[in-house]
Amino acid sequence: MKILRLVILLGLSLFVKRELLATSLPDMWAERVKSVVAIDYVTETEDERRMSTAYGVAIDSEGTVILPSAAISVRVDPKRLSRFRAYVPGEAVGSPATYLGQDSYTGWHYVKVSKLMASELIPITKWMAPKTSKKLGLSDFVWGIGLRNKEEDFIPYLMQSHIAIIESLPQVTAIAQQEIAGPGLPVFDEAGYFVGLATSSFAQTYLQFSKMDRVGSPVMLVDVEESSAFLVSDEVLPLLDRRPEHVSGRPLAWFGAYGLEPLDREAASFLGLSNQSSVVVSEVLEDSPAEKAGMKAHDIIVGVDSVDLPRFRPDRVSTEYVERSVLKHRPGDNLKLTVLRGANRINLTVVLGDEPKLIREADRKYFERLGLTVREFVYADAIERRTSVKSISGAIVSYIKSNSAIDGSGLMSDDWIKEIDGNPVDSFAEVIKKLTVIENDLKRKEFVLLVSRGTETAVLRVKLH
Amino acid sequence: MGGFLPFSLLLLLALFGPNLGHLEAAGMGRGFSALLNSVVRIDVRQVNYEGGTKHFDGSIGSGVILTEDGLILTNAHVVSPKAVEVSVTLSSLENVGAKLVGWDHWTDLALLKLDMDEVARRHLHFTHASFADSTKLFAGQTVFAVGTPFGLTRTVTRGIISNTSQYFDPERNEDGYETGLFNTWLQTDAAINPGNSGGPLVTEDGKVIGITTRGYTGANNLGFAIPSNTAKEVVAALLKSGKIIRSTIGIVPGALQDLEDFYSLALNTGMLVNSVYPKSPAAIAGIKAGDILLSINHVTIDGRFPEQIPSILNSIAQQPVGTELTLTLKRGNKVQDLNVKTEMLETSVGEERAFDKWGLSVRKISRIYAREHGRNDQNGVIVIGVQPGFPADMAGIQRGDIITTINRTQITSIDVITAAHDLFTKKPEPTLLEVEKDRRVAFVIIKP
Repeated sequence: MKILRLVILLGLSLFVKRELLATSLPDMWAERVKSVVAIDYVTETEDERRMSTAYGVAIDSEGTVILPSAAISVRVDPKRLSRFRAYVPGEAVGSPATYLGQDSYTGWHYVKVSKLMASELIPITKWMAPKTSKKLGLSDFVWGIGLRNKEEDFIPYLMQSHIAIIESLPQVTAIAQQEIAGPGLPVFDEAGYFVGLATSSFAQTYLQFSKMDRVGSPVMLVDVEESSAFLVSDEVLPLLDRRPEHVSGRPLAWFGAYGLEPLDREAASFLGLSNQSSVVVSEVLEDSPAEKAGMKAHDIIVGVDSVDLPRFRPDRVSTEYVERSVLKHRPGDNLKLTVLRGANRINLTVVLGDEPKLIREADRKYFERLGLTVREFVYADAIERRTSVKSISGAIVSYIKSNSAIDGSGLMSDDWIKEIDGNPVDSFAEVIKKLTVIENDLKRKEFVLLVSRGTETAVLRVKLH
Repeated sequence: MGGFLPFSLLLLLALFGPNLGHLEAAGMGRGFSALLNSVVRIDVRQVNYEGGTKHFDGSIGSGVILTEDGLILTNAHVVSPKAVEVSVTLSSLENVGAKLVGWDHWTDLALLKLDMDEVARRHLHFTHASFADSTKLFAGQTVFAVGTPFGLTRTVTRGIISNTSQYFDPERNEDGYETGLFNTWLQTDAAINPGNSGGPLVTEDGKVIGITTRGYTGANNLGFAIPSNTAKEVVAALLKSGKIIRSTIGIVPGALQDLEDFYSLALNTGMLVNSVYPKSPAAIAGIKAGDILLSINHVTIDGRFPEQIPSILNSIAQQPVGTELTLTLKRGNKVQDLNVKTEMLETSVGEERAFDKWGLSVRKISRIYAREHGRNDQNGVIVIGVQPGFPADMAGIQRGDIITTINRTQITSIDVITAAHDLFTKKPEPTLLEVEKDRRVAFVIIKP
């Protein structure tokens, strides 16, 4: 912690020179640290329990905490998440917390801490700047909070820097000259007002050298503990009340285009789109709201809700802009899109639908004796396999335990089970029923599956030991 | 659905090592000595479209002269239609030109014809070899491989037949051509190395019983040859029309081994249908994966072991295209006859071309490629090479991308791109392409 102390001392010396400050930085620091929380939780899979840690800020007096999007993988079914615990920075013992779900628009995960802990926390809104205060600008002094890891009791430490750049990505994001806070933790100005929430940091390219490679090969690294980028408070404060209605994160607005890609700049100017960004639709999904609205594959989205897409840097921000325009809405809402198709500009009104069941939401069942988990075949599986969504049936193999009865039969993860013992299985329930009979029949010596993999199928014989 | 085998085709891609000249026949009689004089070295220069440009590369293989009018049998991966110059070195060490008569990548065989005018003009002489019946071979029988391993001209190695009927899952060669569906292999421990490709595997009396084709790299003495009986059929067909037309019904078969109980079958009956290609004749006729094929035109079949499958597929392949076959199939407890009209077997490898001004080489999406990759139509080309620093590269086009339109025109044939490239060559102007990268669409501009 020598370095830390040094940093703090440095902060102090800086403070001494700034006579304008209403109160001392250490005093402000001591108060504002009460707005941050460390969370750990467990992800359970068939054969392991993995512990993860994340940092968040309190947003109200009831003990609601938001964690950044990357704190929990979007692929994981919330049902597999358990044992959430919240820790006050610097304290070794945590208390149980409840996961409330993820908001699709902001990406934030909401967690509720215990009442006792809630009473110790100060909501971040308490540090809101008055409306009259000056907007954040280039070279402004900012400071933020970092948290050490669990072994060090999540000790908070101070980071400080100056604003280097402010960009729309598409949310207004400030980047400081150095790391300024842990991802998900707050950033303040010199008066102690909340100016933003640190996001995941950007990848930086380093050269890696070795005995064999003396020239060095570039490696991209992302600092997961500290970030120099933060969403400015105007992008944070108005959205804090987007607490999910359900732990699943639903309702989720759905548009139904696959592979939104930013239009290449050269191609854009060739097509007469030089002063704005635009997004190519790779595929329009079967039976989707986009298809019903008349959207076609290779359409180029140039406007949303009658406004041309702004010009973004880098180009890929434009796809996020369109995706967020969808997620801002609720199912049933209208979304107006303007697309370029050939030489024509076409206005489409998409009536947004409900996102079809996601892979992470698919029902699944583990068969211990067989050493196999199967999950429901969902919409995304049909898309991935380029098959009609009307053909949704059977089940997908989602896990094979190594050295189990089923391991070695040739069955692989992601295989699509179409028949069991020569009989077609039309629903997930039927797969479960048939596999349960096999699982429980201890005299059973073998069974036969017909699975689909890629564009081929195969009959597999599973010997039961 | 087995894994890919660590094969390397025995083609030697670069010339090295001196020509060691004539090898003495090791006192094995007149037949063997005549055989030695019928084995040739083949140097090939072929066009190559990889890397974004049309260029030429060279390779060496072996071959055996079959007739007195100069027909030579070799491997399809030694001489293909991409060959622009074929030079044959006779046992007399004289070089003579040759032309491709026809090739068959499915069995990896190709037939060449020596330039007989040149042979006559230069008073050159050679002998020719003859085939023996490969079904008469037995494991343990002494055999010899003759060829040009690593460019070492007419090298003889000795071994035994290790297996008379080795099976390999169908594969694709370096150029993507399908191979190995219709035959099994003779396995030998005679030393076989890169450059042996296309040379004969012979008995002690010098009769050709196989064409040396492949071997495991990094293994000891595991070599494989196409049986002479397969070669005889292919030679006859290639002589007739320069190509082989085969029938297919679009199924992927599987061995029934150990599944007889499950399907309530007598041993040695039937072949499993593992997969049916969509829109194929089998699919149209209503054949389903998991069906058991019991007989073809009321002739019962036995596909218990993988080794038995190639000959079953071959019996279908040999029917004239469009023949209606009566297939007896078992599904569950039901046995039924279905009529299937065969279609012509095609490769998935489409036509290739290079566009030098763009530094771009492409291969057309074929009907079979579209079917194998679940594409709705055959429009578009696959990028097989990009030359660094050239316009296609600068536009961000990469190997494996699929170009679907050019200047807003659907690429229904490779000529559509050729026309755009010709235009660009005459008057270089920005050209708009729609490109799919792993199902994601990008619009890119090729600039002068």
